[in-house]
Parts: sequence; C-alpha cells; structure tokens
Amino acid sequence: MTAYTSRPEGSRLADVLATHAQLLSIAGFFLIMVVIFSTLSPVFLTPGNLLNVLRQAAPILIVAVAMTFVITTGGIDLSVGSSVALVNALAAILIQAGVPWQLVVPVLLAIGAGIGAVQGWFIAFQGIQPFIVTLAGLSALRGIALLMTEGFSVPIPTGIGFVQIGRGWFAGVPAPAWIAVAAAVAGFVALSSMRFGRYVTAIGANQEAARRAGIPTRAVLLRVYVLTGLASAVAGIVIAARLGSGSSNAAVGFELDVIAGVVLGGTSLMGGRGSMLGTILGALTIAVIGNGLILAHVSPFFTQIVTGSIILLAVWLNARVFSRLAAGRRRRT
Amino acid sequence: MAAESEGAAPAAPVPRISMRGIVKRFGSVEALRGVDLDLHAGECLGLVGDNAAGKSTLTKILAGAYVPDGGEIRVNGNPVSFRNPADARAHHIEMVYQDLSLCDTVDVAGNLFLGREPMRGPFLDRRAMRDGARAMLDRLEIKIPKLDHLVAQLSGGQRQAIAICRAAAFDPQVLIMDEPTSALAVAEVEAVLALINRVKASGVSVVLITHRLQDLFRVCDRIAVLYEGTKVAERRTAETDLQDLVSLIVGEKHVARGGRA
Repeated sequence: MTAYTSRPEGSRLADVLATHAQLLSIAGFFLIMVVIFSTLSPVFLTPGNLLNVLRQAAPILIVAVAMTFVITTGGIDLSVGSSVALVNALAAILIQAGVPWQLVVPVLLAIGAGIGAVQGWFIAFQGIQPFIVTLAGLSALRGIALLMTEGFSVPIPTGIGFVQIGRGWFAGVPAPAWIAVAAAVAGFVALSSMRFGRYVTAIGANQEAARRAGIPTRAVLLRVYVLTGLASAVAGIVIAARLGSGSSNAAVGFELDVIAGVVLGGTSLMGGRGSMLGTILGALTIAVIGNGLILAHVSPFFTQIVTGSIILLAVWLNARVFSRLAAGRRRRT
Repeated sequence: MAAESEGAAPAAPVPRISMRGIVKRFGSVEALRGVDLDLHAGECLGLVGDNAAGKSTLTKILAGAYVPDGGEIRVNGNPVSFRNPADARAHHIEMVYQDLSLCDTVDVAGNLFLGREPMRGPFLDRRAMRDGARAMLDRLEIKIPKLDHLVAQLSGGQRQAIAICRAAAFDPQVLIMDEPTSALAVAEVEAVLALINRVKASGVSVVLITHRLQDLFRVCDRIAVLYEGTKVAERRTAETDLQDLVSLIVGEKHVARGGRA
C-alpha cells in the first residue's frame, strides 16, 4: 500500500534556532537597549562611557558567572550580596590595621571560598534547601559586616597598590573589566567543555540519575557554592578598591541584579539548562540599563522601576515569543 | 527456543553474585524481609512479582542505589558493601533503571557517556563521545538520527533504548534491567532479547525484571518470584510454565498451601 520512507530530518538551521532561541532573544534585547540609549544620549556610545559601563558591570558579571553554575544545578545563592559586603568591609578593616594588601587579597579570597564551602556543606551534605541556607547567609553575613564596622564606612588609603585593582587601567581597559573578562572566559569554557560543567548540568537535569551514573553529586554541589563564595570575594575586593572604602552597606540588592542577569540570559531556574554567553549578555544588559537611564537623565528613583519592568518584559518575550517562533519554524520544515 | 542457552548455565562453584538475608526498610514498611539470591556467570535470572513485591528495591541494592539495612552481598565470593552506585559500577555491575535515569537537557552522546566522559586534556573529547556513541547505538541496531539532540526531544522508546545501550556498552559483568522493554516497539523488544542472549553467551550475568512473562521463557535460565518482600519460589525456566508463574506471583499456591494444595 505505501512505501516505507524514513522521516525527513529537520533542517540544521531550525535546530540551531530552536536550541539558541533564548540566547538570540537576549542578544536582540541587548542590542535594542543599546540602540535606544544611544539615540537618547550622544554620550552613551563613546568609548569612555562603554568602558565605564564595563567597569560598573564587572562585579555583577564576575558573580553572575559563578551564579550560573549554581542555578544550573537547580540551586540559588541569595547570600552573594552579603558576602560582597562582608569581604568589602574586611578589606578596609584589615588594610587599616596595617596588614599588607598583598596578604589581604588571598586571605579574603580564602574567606569567600570558606563561606561558600560552609553553605555548600549544608546544602550538599545535609540536604537543606539552598534557598533557606543562603537566605540565612544573606542575613547573617551582612550582620557580621555591620557588627565589625558598626555601620561606618572604613576608608582605605589611596596611596597603595590595592586601589589599582579597582581603578587601574591595563592596555586601555579598566582592571575590573579584565578580571570580569577572565572570569567570563573561564566560566564559559568550564560550563561548556569541561567535566565539571557537564556534571553541573547533569545534576540540574536529574540529580538522582547523575548519582546513579557514578557522579560525585555532593562534591560537585559543594563546589558550585564555593565558586559563588569565591566570586563574591573577588567582587568585594574590586568594589572596595574602586570606592577606596569598605562598608557593610555595600552591594545592597546585589544578589537580585546577579540573579536577574543570569535568568535574563536564559539559564533555567529549574536547573539543567545554563548559558554562560546568555549570562554575560544578561549582566551587561542590566548594566547598560542602569547606565543608560542615568545618561538619559531619568530620575534615579525610576531606575529600579524601569529595570524591574524591563526584566519582566525580556523574560516574557523570551518565554512566549522567541521560543514559540523557534518551535514554529521547526514544525514547518 | 526457550531453552536454547541451557548449556551456558552455571558451572562455577562460586556464584558471581550472592545476596544473603537482604533487608531494606522504608520507614515502617519492610520492603525486603531477608532475601537470598544467587547469580552465576552467563545466566539470566528473571525476577517477577506483583507491584511492591520488592523487585526494584532488591536490584537497586545490587546496583548500589540503595544501601541495605541488613544482609550480605558477595561478588565472586568476596564480601562487598556498596555505599553508592559508583561502587557497584567499579565492580562492573550496571543497571537499567525503570525511570531510565537520563538527563533530559544533556545530548544523546553525553547521556551514554555520563560519569565516564572521554577527556582530551582538561576538556571533554566530543569527537570520541560522538563516534563512541554511534558505535554503541549501531551495535544494538538503535536508530537515532542526531546524537546532539537533547534526550528530552526523543520518544519514549528511544529514551529506553539509550538507557539500555548505556548499561550494556561498558563491559558489565552483571547487567540488571528493570522493565527494559515497557516502552519499546516489537522490533526493539526483539533486539533487546537478542542482546540479552548475546551478552549472556559472552559470560555476563543478567537480571531481568519484566511484566511480559512470555519474554522470560525466551531468555531466562531461572526465575525467582518475590512476594511482599520475600522470595517465595525459584524455578528453572525449563521446569515451569506461564500458568505456574502466574499463580506463584499472585500468591494462590503460597497462601493456599496449608489448605487446598
């Protein structure tokens, strides 16, 4: 009656579009923001301002790279802002106490990693919800910073090399931007091409399946929280160096910017799906919005409202429009 | 057809796997109440029983996914204690889980090599994974056009085929299959049964859990019947029939032993 034929394969292009729908949508959104702000303000597209945006975005970008791993496992780290504040305050306190800054930096990095390890231990080995553990961290870590500084801003002497971490320029690009680029490249390679990234994705997709495949799931989970702790320490150091002071009030709401950047980039809060390129674009989008609204002379009180609305709009477009377009294309071929 | 592989049945005095007095509790429920089970090289053991008889629990203990509350497991006569599936894998015990245990957002090749990725320096060797995956699938005559498709995009039968392929591909000594054919089409079921006979012939011990009783007679040398967490019967395939098995599974003979029989 009928000839036996194989089902025709879908076109390569349609597959690529479907797979990268989220990335394409955030890239498009990022470009739209750039176009809008460059028409609103002639200053926006100048090299000076763009480098400024990069420098401003660096702390968010650094932590967002680490957060991408955490969210890809299906977890969340709400404590990053408080970790930044704690490291930020400690940096100023230690330097003021006369500890050489070359020693302060590694000590702070170790403290950041240690904070992550403690939280990661509760999450990975004690099975407590990441939301709860890091919510406790969010409260307690800033509390420690407040206790140590008694709420005052602690100045850092500007003569020393430490401030170069935040204010220096190398090859025409601000030092924080270099650090962020290094973090982004390392994160991209680790997530897409290394065993660690593969295990992170597998755990987020199906933790029990990953365990049954012989993956040391708890050790991997612990490590992603060490990563966010470490990245928070780097961000705290960069902010302290740039502002020349340490304060327990640094980076308030920082965790929300970071998480928003990651989610904007298409990384699924359900886990199993992470995009480092998306995170980079997402974090830059948030930085561009912040910078562009200031240049466009929008009242700073509006910034949060606009940022919130734009995030919702972008995620909505992502979920309802771009994904459907890609799915429709796949069906038609 | 049924007893064509009788000749491959146990010759070794020491069983490859010996489970003694295995007990497992989930809260107040005693899932396994002291089960003994032997498994010899090159034989296929069918494991049957009603739902909640303890089949999956027993095999998950052997695969290291559950840690038993009591009892002893010996591999080739040496006592072992599996704390996790990686331990069992190290003893070449592989399992096809009923839920398949695949990672939906990882591609086909990645799932096949999950937990033992080939590396080139610090990086995943994608080419080796793709070529290896193609070879593994071809050997089982599984048709999956694109290896870089995510597992989420595949049909139920294809997913099951991948899970079987993954367990069978890495030279297991013991291959446990929990309902491996439930989502498969006719030709694919035949391929799996042929696979079982083939790996058996090469000396692999197979444990097969299935509700398709007719399949048992085509590949199994022995059949063990579980009932409410105990082993109530063990038969050589040649010495039993469908009717006998059914009554053993539902417990007629077991319950009525004192009365009618």
